[in-house]
Amino acid sequence: MIKITNLEKFYRTEEVETIALNKLSMHVDTGEFVAIMGPSGCGKSTLLNILGMLDDPDEGSYVFNDIEVAHFNERKRADLRKHNIGFVFQSFNLIDELTVFENVELPLIYTGVPTGERVKRVEEVLDKMQIMHRRNHYPQQLSGGQQQRVAIARAVVNKPKLILADEPTGNLDSSNGNDVMELLTDLNEQGTTIIMVTHSEHDARYSHRIIRLLDGQTVMENIMI
Amino acid sequence: MIKNYIKTAWRNIRNNKFYSVINIVGLTVGLVVGLFILLWVQDELSFDKFNTKAPNIYKIGIRGGSGPTEQIFSAIIAPVATSAKNELPEVKDAVRVKDFGSTTFKYQDKIFNENGAFTDPSFFSVFNFSLIEGDAQKPFLDNNSIIITKTVAQKYFGNEDPLGKVLSIIDQPQLFKVTGVINDPPNNSSIKFDVFLPLSYLNQMAYVKNSTRYNGTGRIASMDVDWISFNYDTYLLLKPNTNIAKLQKSLQKIHERNKPDDAPVPYIAQPLLNIHLYKADGSDGGIKTVNTFAIVAILILIIACINYVNLSTARSMLRAKEVSMRKIIGAGKAQLFFQFMAETTLMFLIATILAIGLMYALLPYYNQFSGKQLALNLSNYHIWLCIVITLIITLAASSIYPAILLSSFEPLKALKGRLTAGMGNASFRRMLVITQFSASIVLIISTFIIGKQLKYIRDKDLGFNKENVISLSMHGIMPHYDAVKNELLKQPGIIAVTRSSGNIIDYNNWTGDNDWDGKPANSNLLFHPMEIDKDFISFFKIRMLQGNAFTGAIADSNHLIVNETAVEAMNMHEPIGKRLRIQTVKGTIIGVVKDFHFSSMRKKIEPAVFMYNTSNGWDMYIKTTGGDAQKAIVATQAIWKQYNSNTPFNYTFLDESFSKLYKTEQQTGVLFNLFASIAIIISCLGLFGLATYSAQVKTREIGIRKVLGASVAGIVKLLALEFMFLILAAIVIAVPVAWYAMSKWLQDFAYRISIEWWLFLIAGLMAMLIAFVTISFQSVKAAIANPVKSLRSE
Ligand SMILES: Nc1ncnc2c1ncn2[C@@H]1O[C@H](COP(=O)(O)OP(=O)(O)OP(=O)(O)O)[C@@H](O)[C@H]1O
Ligand SMILES: [Mg+2]
Repeated sequence: MIKITNLEKFYRTEEVETIALNKLSMHVDTGEFVAIMGPSGCGKSTLLNILGMLDDPDEGSYVFNDIEVAHFNERKRADLRKHNIGFVFQSFNLIDELTVFENVELPLIYTGVPTGERVKRVEEVLDKMQIMHRRNHYPQQLSGGQQQRVAIARAVVNKPKLILADEPTGNLDSSNGNDVMELLTDLNEQGTTIIMVTHSEHDARYSHRIIRLLDGQTVMENIMI
Repeated sequence: MIKNYIKTAWRNIRNNKFYSVINIVGLTVGLVVGLFILLWVQDELSFDKFNTKAPNIYKIGIRGGSGPTEQIFSAIIAPVATSAKNELPEVKDAVRVKDFGSTTFKYQDKIFNENGAFTDPSFFSVFNFSLIEGDAQKPFLDNNSIIITKTVAQKYFGNEDPLGKVLSIIDQPQLFKVTGVINDPPNNSSIKFDVFLPLSYLNQMAYVKNSTRYNGTGRIASMDVDWISFNYDTYLLLKPNTNIAKLQKSLQKIHERNKPDDAPVPYIAQPLLNIHLYKADGSDGGIKTVNTFAIVAILILIIACINYVNLSTARSMLRAKEVSMRKIIGAGKAQLFFQFMAETTLMFLIATILAIGLMYALLPYYNQFSGKQLALNLSNYHIWLCIVITLIITLAASSIYPAILLSSFEPLKALKGRLTAGMGNASFRRMLVITQFSASIVLIISTFIIGKQLKYIRDKDLGFNKENVISLSMHGIMPHYDAVKNELLKQPGIIAVTRSSGNIIDYNNWTGDNDWDGKPANSNLLFHPMEIDKDFISFFKIRMLQGNAFTGAIADSNHLIVNETAVEAMNMHEPIGKRLRIQTVKGTIIGVVKDFHFSSMRKKIEPAVFMYNTSNGWDMYIKTTGGDAQKAIVATQAIWKQYNSNTPFNYTFLDESFSKLYKTEQQTGVLFNLFASIAIIISCLGLFGLATYSAQVKTREIGIRKVLGASVAGIVKLLALEFMFLILAAIVIAVPVAWYAMSKWLQDFAYRISIEWWLFLIAGLMAMLIAFVTISFQSVKAAIANPVKSLRSE
């Protein structure tokens, strides 16, 4: 599904140039559950953003589903993104002005799903995430765990092939964190590819494979059994 | 999708009540004021357009006088119209109109004053005043026909058929049979009368029967050979694409052929569509006010739009996260653009509804104030067109930029809070604030200067004493003047009585028929001739500079008194004893009076000449003690009744007539006051919003600074200083603009104040103060907040 080769990303400020990704190569197959780990500042989020097509690399190749996307323009990336990729963030990033239902509904609106179908699909996924009873609440009225479940619901409602999660349990206590990990595992078992950045060895154990980064380079891969 | 846009938009408005209220109030006020002014402008521009033939109708005038007294006469001699129609192929038709002023008509027991005119029958076909009742082919059946408006018909005859009914004029034997009814002239017609008599009736009465008109060689047999009375407003209906310059020459030739000694008489043809807003020579008249007001309306709308743009772009920072998330989830740029457009549109819709509601409520006051009769009914599509266009433009102006800005956020940066778009545009916002305040300050300065000029006019020494003087037209008193005067002088509260041939406050009679020893051949000097009684000069305390006033001696009928300007214009040294002929009076100058203002201060004082003649006295002046003015009026009315059984008693205080001369200016003054206040209020609303936003964004910074020991004053300074610099910049821009605009406005006055620098200083300080109060409200609030709280809220 994903194959990147010699990927480079620099951040230039007036004086210093930071190399966030340094000739990084890796691949992820369809249906895999991959965890990315590494010390702070090693380029995990940068990598995830590029994989999610929120950002573009400076050098190297990124092939997504047999399409070279490294030099796609913003518009093409956005198009590919909205049909294929769902995001889960550490800080949930729900839209405060919208209810739970509306937050989850939003991706469907943007991909032009008709109203009747939208309601059905949102209800389905809210049910699955067990937050149906909170459908008319606003994000501030929910606990962190609940918010993250809404965020996951929003990420999966469009049935994306790939879910990118950047420290999804970072702001949660261990019990809520475990719930989220169970949800991701379920999704993976139903066929969704998952790439997750985490600092927690415990969470990483849910994945099939751990990629360890250091200074923008892959240093080690462990296959989990 | 649209439903979703609206829902989101509505929620955003609701969840940010503070900004929404500021935005909506600003927009509503701006729209109400802007629209009201634009409606007024539209009405002014629509004058006479209802005449379908208007583009081919021209009003004919001539240039008369020479040197300082050059004038344009908009009424000309009667035969020109007939000759033009007969001789010039490009003239399809001609209409003459002779105003006969307010006259009291009577039908059975119904008595009313009507404004009337003598006119040619062509009046009813050239203008869109076609008969709704009567014979369009022959509007006047004979000389004793009268045509009336619908309202007049209603007033006298109710629902009865007006045709054939007979009206009489009070105190006169003639009877007039109604032969036609026309619709009331629309409010935007410059030709407005209630009743019309045939011009041939005037000819019959004034020339054929009563033979009141003479020229050098004898009686004038008919109006159509009267080449000396400049009395008739003349309109020509021309063929399309007529060469106007050529027409003017042709008219001049006709005139000069028939009256060679008038040569040269340059003729002027002014388009009917221009007469409301331009002077006869084509120079700016009312159009100046129209342009000024249009600019003010646009300024106010711009100020209101700027508020919106400023607040929504400033707040875009706070919305960065929402926008980014939408993008990450899959929103396209276009979708976000439309979402923000929907938000603005909804906000506008609310403001529009409020504005139109308010306009309905305020319309009666507005009409009363502006002297218009605007109606917001749906049938008047001009008004709605004006409203809709204004709305669309303001909507576009205030929505597109914020929508583009918001929809083009880069999602990653925004999410990480490293977004600079909102802040990076701070300089753009600063520019907008400067624009807003520049406009407001220009208006404030204008208000000051207009006010000061009006005060100057009010307080200026007119050169005569108008205090506590009542004036009235004598009507039936005229032949009994001496008896009435004696009677009046016996009344308590009445100090003196005098009379003259015209009103001293606004005296506009002219004569070019004059001669004096040494008059240059090319001089066409015009005089204002006024016939006065012997006590007129002392009554008004007009100062004699040389010679003597009239004494009432028989010899006085050949004596003349002139003003300083006349002496100067005639270039006369030692004027006393010099000979001067004014019309038929071949006289000697016996006195010179100090110049006094017998006309508006827009005009320089012009040459005037007093003649002693009591038989033409029409205006009576009664000086009261002031305290007993009311008693004096009651007594005068009682005496009036004895001589004018039917004519209603009408009087005015000279002070009032004087104020009326400057009614437009006074209105402009009041309006500018209002505009300036509204502009500054809307601007401050925006500033208040920005200051609030600024304090909100800096909450954390303020908290940290306070923890580190910053004082409240220091923090207020931190927040307010930035804005005060903007106001300072606005002042720098506003001063020259206001100075330029106001010196142009003042040019309309021959007598005017000079613009002083301290007016600008005061206006600037005022703006600073208002802005400072606005800002500090928020800044102080932020500064005194408990830092622990503000830090935790992040
Ligand atoms: N917009 C930016 N401008 C400049 N440097 C950046 C930018 N974004 C990231 N970096 C730098 O790139 C490097 C990688 O950052 P990245 O956010 O990917 O780290 P991370 O592995 O996700 O760290 P953490 O575990 O703390 O989230 C860091 O050195 C960081 O300072
Ligand atoms: Mg990170």
